[in-house]
Amino acid sequence: MSSDVAGSPLAPVVPDQPRSGDRTPPTPSSSEAPPRRRGAAAAWAGLKRFIRTEKLGAVSLALITVFVVMAVFAPLLAPYDPLQQFRRNLTEAPSGTFWLGTDDLGRDVLSRLIYGARSSMIVSVVTTVVSLVLGTLIGVTSGFLGKRKDMVIQRLMDAIQSVPPLVLLLFLAVVLTPSMSSTIIALTIVITPSFNRVARAETMRIREETYIEAARATGSSSLRTMVKHVLPNMAAPMMTMASLLFAGVIIAESALSFLGIGTPPPTPSWGGMLSSGARYVELAPWMIIAPGLILSVAVFAFNLLGDALRDFFDPRLQR
Amino acid sequence: MQADPAVRDPDRVADAGTPLLEARDLVKHYQIRKGVLGRPVGTVHAVDGISFAIPRGKTVGLVGESGSGKSTAARLVSRLIEPTSGEVRFDGQDVLAMRGKEVKALRRRMQMVFQDPFGSLNPRLTVGDIVGEPLEVHRVASGRARTDRVVEVLETVGLSGRDLHKFPHQFSGGQAQRIGIARALATNPDLIICDEAVSALDVSVQAQVLNLLKRLQRELGLSYLFIAHDLNVVRYMADELCVMYMGEIVERGDGDAVFADPQHPYTQMLLAAIPGHDPVTARAQERGVATGEVPSASAPPSGCRFHTRCPAVFDRCPTEHPPLYDAGQPGRVAACHLLDEPRQVQRA
Amino acid sequence: MIRYVLGRLVYGLVVLALVTVFVFVAITFIPSDAVDVMLADTGATEEQAAAMRSELGLDRPVWEQLGSFLGNAVQGDFGRSFYTDEPVVDLFLDRIPITLQLGGLALVIGTVLGLVLGIIAAVRRGTATDGAVRVTAVTFLSVPNFVLGLLILTALGLWFAWSPPFVYRGPTEDFVSWAQHMAIPAIALGTASMAGITRMTRSSLLENLGSQYIRTVRAKGAGERLVLFKHAMRNSVIAVLTLIGVDLATVLGGTVILEQMFSLPGTGQLVYQAVLDRDYPVVIACTIFYAGLFIVTMIIIDLLYAFIDPRIRAAREAGR
Repeated sequence: MSSDVAGSPLAPVVPDQPRSGDRTPPTPSSSEAPPRRRGAAAAWAGLKRFIRTEKLGAVSLALITVFVVMAVFAPLLAPYDPLQQFRRNLTEAPSGTFWLGTDDLGRDVLSRLIYGARSSMIVSVVTTVVSLVLGTLIGVTSGFLGKRKDMVIQRLMDAIQSVPPLVLLLFLAVVLTPSMSSTIIALTIVITPSFNRVARAETMRIREETYIEAARATGSSSLRTMVKHVLPNMAAPMMTMASLLFAGVIIAESALSFLGIGTPPPTPSWGGMLSSGARYVELAPWMIIAPGLILSVAVFAFNLLGDALRDFFDPRLQR
Repeated sequence: MQADPAVRDPDRVADAGTPLLEARDLVKHYQIRKGVLGRPVGTVHAVDGISFAIPRGKTVGLVGESGSGKSTAARLVSRLIEPTSGEVRFDGQDVLAMRGKEVKALRRRMQMVFQDPFGSLNPRLTVGDIVGEPLEVHRVASGRARTDRVVEVLETVGLSGRDLHKFPHQFSGGQAQRIGIARALATNPDLIICDEAVSALDVSVQAQVLNLLKRLQRELGLSYLFIAHDLNVVRYMADELCVMYMGEIVERGDGDAVFADPQHPYTQMLLAAIPGHDPVTARAQERGVATGEVPSASAPPSGCRFHTRCPAVFDRCPTEHPPLYDAGQPGRVAACHLLDEPRQVQRA
Repeated sequence: MIRYVLGRLVYGLVVLALVTVFVFVAITFIPSDAVDVMLADTGATEEQAAAMRSELGLDRPVWEQLGSFLGNAVQGDFGRSFYTDEPVVDLFLDRIPITLQLGGLALVIGTVLGLVLGIIAAVRRGTATDGAVRVTAVTFLSVPNFVLGLLILTALGLWFAWSPPFVYRGPTEDFVSWAQHMAIPAIALGTASMAGITRMTRSSLLENLGSQYIRTVRAKGAGERLVLFKHAMRNSVIAVLTLIGVDLATVLGGTVILEQMFSLPGTGQLVYQAVLDRDYPVVIACTIFYAGLFIVTMIIIDLLYAFIDPRIRAAREAGR
């Protein structure tokens, strides 16, 4: 990925010349170090810097915006009702009327694709956010407690991760009745250990920082130290991880739907569309190509974003 | 907030006679564990029975090579690390018997400044939040009052209210250390532990920060536990000096007196390393300079721990552990058998 | 070294035991049990259903079920299928060769292609070739394996009117048919690993080629090829090996969906069918078997590390 990354929040500090006695505010040597603002303003400034320094990251953000718009405004964007069956237009090739053709039940592929973004995005967003929170909580607590408790918690996480994800999802499909919330629960169980792993490693690293000892020396409680000092300093790797796992969740959700144990039909989902398309490979290839491509592009966008975030936050790539 | 420590808190027993902090026979041993079952296979003697006292408004210096246990000692008296045994009294209270809230209350009066100026500041917080944290933690002030107090201490250390919303990376090393000092000052403590507080700074900046610390001591009546490996720095700061070697205090006494006439060969060796420090250089040349590496802390040498490197080693050293012998002047002690021997042995 | 291996094995058993506990705790959340599903269309009475439950041991508390499962498992009995009454171990062992063939082929394809592409990209860094390889890698990292399988099938069907065999024949029985059958799913499964390994090889090689150590080797007058293959590569192999370990879980999971798509009668198909049939003993045992398979492979990879990197070996023999 591009390595021309300038000033980031983690920019290494070059101590300036011995002039600490003076009271004038230091003027940063490079133009890249705008005074950092707080809250929303800081987030906005960070976003602008990200777009400027990470070209591919900007592309991925644009793609992701398209998917989000598709998901949110599906009813406005879709030319037809995704469930409406045009009985006289079964498996019809793409045309002016049906831009991406129709499926075996005469439903408009484009409309189903747009609505499919909904289930995909809802499942992925909820799963990622819930797992991020859970995994961070578990990882930070485990890393902070250390010793025996850490050992027990981590072996449990190892256990979950030792079952291949799709097999675990299949197992959980037996346990839970098929529904969107079941899919989310199952995926959360599968993804959380990965967040835990990163959060724990980061906690172990941050715990050794002097500012943690300084906080203790000030009299800060463990909880306060965790919230004020540990969490903010692990935000960068967690965001990167979230983006990459988001891509994984999109794949897993569609795989489950493809196997008929994810989003239950007739609700349109990309995986479900692929599954019905698989029966008409030669007769109606558009039934496979359209959802296959859009699924891949969505995964691509989040992988790209993850890569860009990693570069953006990598102190070694700072100039 | 007032400057006079005596007026600050009427509840405190302002007994000028007792020292502010007293450490007696402090010990910290670490078990080295091995294997799945964690069998202890050895013990690291990080701090091995040290005693010292910090009088009110004074500075006690703790010197020694890295690994001598001086930083561990600092963390033991502030309960950042739990001692294996010993006793610590702060303003007459038993520090090691304190629990939760009492420890927190102790921290309010006993703050710390660290070696790495940037490392000790959370890079994601503003100066205002960093310096204001102790105020929040101890519920001293919040909101407007907190900001006012933060600006006040920032100005005390030579920064200004304009720095409130900046982040640590926007400062130079010396300025960052001033932020660390401001944080330590925020709750109006009685004792500040400076753990190599200037070692990471350039020499010219060191002088400025040291002068700041001296000024603060004069104005606020602070006491310091001042830890450093640089003897020139300690000499400038300390009223009383403790020299540590391998977890033990080997020499203690009035700062200037120790510098003028070091009694322990280890102190002599340290002083000889300072360019142009004549009284010792002469003696070191006469006797030869200590050589060799510091032995492992998990297997300290028998008898006097310094005997493996000591140029004046004789038969008692490897077998007999030296106590702190009286070294002539009042308040001066050194753990060297030479002080117990007739003069001719020393000259031999 | 032997103690280290033993330590790893004990750790593996602990994790496997935890998987078993997790599985048994999870099945208590099942809303309707297998008996309801089995007897749904038979019009059986409630008494018959209850009799069946007690026969299958489903009326006992979970920890009792777990206990008897573990007790039997130690003796090699992991339960029997509700439907065929065959021991699950036999069902699994009958089918595992196909899954291992598929997964193994996929990993070999992914690793070989990934290493080759990664080395090419690293050697020609900054050129168009490098760019092309990297774009290819990111692209393939993003196409889910079952989508890729479907797209390949579609392309072959449309352009060559060709489709893979429907009935599986082993490599010794009919090699050509076997190869035709395995090729597409193995490629579809392997490309994602290929993409990951390409990226890892490239970045790790570049890092190593710029290192002090390699500069020293170069200064000693070693040829560029020797530098690359003997010195830089050795360091990169560790990183790649780690990645293969990570990919393993994905590939094992991926076999489930691709076996289904290409009608390969492997363990993936076994689990999937059991899930659809709610054949609990099969699902439970297979989940644990998969975990075992994964754990064993991870231990092997761990030992390979020690084999490749003397520093790791030394550290471990010193007792961690």
